[in-house]
Amino acid sequence: MNLAHNPTLALIACLLATVIPVFFGKLAITPTWLSLQALALGWITLNKHHELDVHAMAAGLEILLIRAWLVPHLLRRTLQGLKAAQHDVMPSNLFAWGVAVALIILAFQFGDGARADVRALTLGVIAATVTIAFLVLATNREPVAQLVALLFMENALALFESLMPEPWPLPVHIAISSLYVGTVAVGCWLVRSADVSGVLATQPREDGQ
Amino acid sequence: MTASLSIANSASSAAPGSGAHWISPALVGVALLMWLSAMGVFLTHPLSELPLYFASRYLVLDATSLLFMVVINTVFLVICVYLYSRERHTPALTLDIRSRAALMLLFMAVINLGLMANHLVLLWTLIEVSTLCAAPLVARGDGSNPRAVAWRYMLYSSMTLAITFLGFMALTQSAHLRGLEVSFMVDQLGDSLTTEANGWQRLGLSFMLFGLGGKLGLAPLYGWMPETYEAAPTTTSALLASVQFNISVVAVFRILQIFHGHEAGFVSQELLVMGYLSLVVAAVQIMACSNYKRLVAYACVSSSGVIALGLSVGKAAAYGVVLYIVSNAFVKSLLFLTAGRMRAVYGTNQVGPLSGVIRTLPLTGMLFTVGIFALLGFPPFASFLAEMLILSGIVQSGKLLAFTLMCTMLTVIFVATGRTLFPMLWGAQKVAVKVPPQSWITLLPKLGFVAVLVMLGTYTPDLFTDLLRAVAVSIGG
Repeated sequence: MNLAHNPTLALIACLLATVIPVFFGKLAITPTWLSLQALALGWITLNKHHELDVHAMAAGLEILLIRAWLVPHLLRRTLQGLKAAQHDVMPSNLFAWGVAVALIILAFQFGDGARADVRALTLGVIAATVTIAFLVLATNREPVAQLVALLFMENALALFESLMPEPWPLPVHIAISSLYVGTVAVGCWLVRSADVSGVLATQPREDGQ
Repeated sequence: MTASLSIANSASSAAPGSGAHWISPALVGVALLMWLSAMGVFLTHPLSELPLYFASRYLVLDATSLLFMVVINTVFLVICVYLYSRERHTPALTLDIRSRAALMLLFMAVINLGLMANHLVLLWTLIEVSTLCAAPLVARGDGSNPRAVAWRYMLYSSMTLAITFLGFMALTQSAHLRGLEVSFMVDQLGDSLTTEANGWQRLGLSFMLFGLGGKLGLAPLYGWMPETYEAAPTTTSALLASVQFNISVVAVFRILQIFHGHEAGFVSQELLVMGYLSLVVAAVQIMACSNYKRLVAYACVSSSGVIALGLSVGKAAAYGVVLYIVSNAFVKSLLFLTAGRMRAVYGTNQVGPLSGVIRTLPLTGMLFTVGIFALLGFPPFASFLAEMLILSGIVQSGKLLAFTLMCTMLTVIFVATGRTLFPMLWGAQKVAVKVPPQSWITLLPKLGFVAVLVMLGTYTPDLFTDLLRAVAVSIGG
């Protein structure tokens, strides 16, 4: 088996990068898992491109620079000094774990079972990532955990590209990258200000704007 | 205050008297250019020449994109004129005008691109990017916790769009299982659909409509809308209600265009359920509402319900739905901008202290009254004509129970709105307030909205009627 051209390992890495921090991780280490997920994504994406043209290079660079480095870096900076950074990504209790396991199983049913078929595995990984992200949104009221869930969800969207017969065209790539950077930029700004000021802006500042 | 100031300082070095006074006139200038461009395209491109594809077919100029470009750029121009006039009398606004103007322009650029997107994933992404541009604008509100509201707005938006994305996945799986490859180009996606009953295809469609319904404020995912519209600054509420709402409408239209002739019964049922649920939710919430800005926001939920019901009928009500959407864009802006003036004078969004507005602020009170009547669907406004067309479409399609339920809910909403707002407008004055001056420039845009609403309800130029009809035909009318 030619590992370089078989995305199975990368897909499993993608899934683990979502599941491990959600089950066992603190928020402080999620940037590292996001980087790992992005690297796996880069591997899959570059395999998808039939030849190393400008588009493939741009897609690869986008994943390495934005998803694997910039966004985790911004998130790490935001987490520094936040009390919430030491919280679990998902509340550690048997009920949440049980629901999460059930969701992952259902996700792979959605993907027609995680057999050797790479397509089914990809669909399962995407569905599992999205549903786990929804679970984090539903069980954790901490804004920074919700932000991490959104970023996992957007990585799933990027992985969805590998199901298409051809890679996304460049304009779609640019829009999706802008969305990823925008989410983390606006999200970090809102999360940081929420943490710093506690109860925010209670005094009316301007009327009838 | 401190938090808001820090945004302004970090985003720009603008401060009162530091040379930021040119920004709002420049914003009006850019908005005017955008409006002139939209009108120029509308006047120079006959409908027979459309659709026009460009940028390697990723963008398209068709009747749908053209209509909404004209509408949103008109609304944006008026909002910019309003902001300009407010800034002249409110020095505090100068503090963050630079970042605010930049975000508004970015928001409009993204929305205009989204209207023309011929790729469903591109459109999906641009809607979300527009939310990211709007969230910092929402965070500039004057409520108790505007950043928390902005965060929830962003979160809701991401969740609803994630549901839509699940719909894309299901569609891809549906095509794959039938041995077809799917393209998300709007004009090609229809080729990979089947007319036979297909569970994956149906699941995809239901997820997409459910997710985008959330962006339109349709129940059950409507929670973000009243909260955000109330907490955001007036101009931002108007932008969200009249501009961003319409790009979500365009996304729904694109899905209906793609599924034209497929799953019609299923689409109808889903929209019917969401539409009724929204009307019921809006009616109950309006009955319990004592905050005029929130009441207008709930009225927006009910408008979304009417739109969903009209779309569920299909052919018979399509023209009415398009007219209703266009008219609503102007009504919502008129109401939010007028609510901004009342907030400025009384310092509250609560109905109680505002008794007798029409005596204290005759013009503002009159404009708010006109807006409320237009919102409730009274003649001679376009919303009256549109609601009549939708109701007659429902009757023509033989859904008499649906007709009865819609009439009942609209009556409840009318009575509940009147019970809350009419004493506020015409009741005895409870508090004396100092009325700050208002220039004619502040009034001009609102009067323009009233003129457009009356014109759409009484006499619509043939050119514009043809455009409305073309859009109605594209969604099955």
